[in-house]
Amino acid sequence: MAGLGELERRVMDVLWGSIGKPLTGREVADQIPDRAYTTVLTILDRLRRKNLVERSTEGKSHRFAANASRETYMAELMVEALGSVKDRRAVLVRFAAVVSAEEAVVLRQALEALPDEPGRKKP
Amino acid sequence: MNLYLDAGILCALVVLLACPFSKWLARASWVTRSPRAAVALWHSVGMSATLATIGAGLCVASERFHAGFVGGVGELGEGVASGHPLQGLGLPDALGLTLAADVGVVLFSVVGVVILRTVLARARHRRLLNLLATPSQSRAGTLTLDHPSPVAYCLPGIRPRIVISSGTVGLLDQAELTAVIEHERGHAHERHGLVMLPMTGLTEPFRWIPYARLAPAEVAGLLEMAADDHAARRHDSTSLASALVAMSTSAAPPRCAFALASHDVNARVHRLLGPDRISRTAAATTGLLCAAALVAPLAVLFSS
Repeated sequence: MAGLGELERRVMDVLWGSIGKPLTGREVADQIPDRAYTTVLTILDRLRRKNLVERSTEGKSHRFAANASRETYMAELMVEALGSVKDRRAVLVRFAAVVSAEEAVVLRQALEALPDEPGRKKP
Repeated sequence: MNLYLDAGILCALVVLLACPFSKWLARASWVTRSPRAAVALWHSVGMSATLATIGAGLCVASERFHAGFVGGVGELGEGVASGHPLQGLGLPDALGLTLAADVGVVLFSVVGVVILRTVLARARHRRLLNLLATPSQSRAGTLTLDHPSPVAYCLPGIRPRIVISSGTVGLLDQAELTAVIEHERGHAHERHGLVMLPMTGLTEPFRWIPYARLAPAEVAGLLEMAADDHAARRHDSTSLASALVAMSTSAAPPRCAFALASHDVNARVHRLLGPDRISRTAAATTGLLCAAALVAPLAVLFSS
């Protein structure tokens, strides 16, 4: 299944590279030459069911476009990752929260008070 | 044999656990010397208080059978099974049943809804990660997110994902980075996302109960310490502490108050740098308190 995820990422990259200009399945497949046309169509359909890709019909051909830009999705991830949302829904477990400037001084002092060890970066 | 007395004792136990005991436990700094046992204690207190509330309601409702708790609940159950659950029900019995049923239904549905929302939000996050993050070549088992903000986190799930941003890679040296990844592996390995799930969503609807207000934040902080211990066992605690300081002091300025979380960082750094990070005595004491909390309501119920 890891292969599918990788392929989905490549298809999205193609669509993100063509913002404002929906592509046909053939045009997407042309940019992923190591995979069969039908495979690319399957992936486009999967992405459409996940609501990441929208399909429009012009005459006989379908055209595909990303639902939102890469930056929009990245922003959504970072909002959760940085925890700048109010709700603490515990979607993820983040490593460190941001501290105030005064606390930062105290924390750095605590580190500096330690005896020097080789290989440790000076703060 | 008086079940009203038992109900009174159980109610007193609920108040004791949810108010003074929770406040005391949140202030007790010694429990951070065995964070995993302390997490178990917070869970035990919650389970015990829920059990005692439902038990108290059932005691009141089954007093009229004069058959003790087990016998009374048995008769109550027979009434429900025969299709006449409300037959011969007086006001206190009805109130007791209402209490037992409401606490059960409200608690499990409110928490259930939040758990469902959390699981869905995690699934969406995972879908986006699949598109935006790339598996790291040099750091096995981690995903790299190409973003200048220094973030590192673990997305819980059946296959937890450890995500490190390129900003983090640029900020930390090799030893610090390894320590951070070991910390995240601790979260993944010990299934902290699952441990945290029952706690999510307690705070907002039940703000007026000290336990509901304190437990989620305390458990989240204790789980960070548990992951710190995991990393310190495999790597060294100084690198982890300096990574923690670097990450928490250089990220983008927050848009809302982080008073509580920053307190956590401070406590974690001092714990990592201090001499007695872990204590078996603390673990044993916490374990005893766990057992006592769980046995207390059952002892009251089954002694009558």
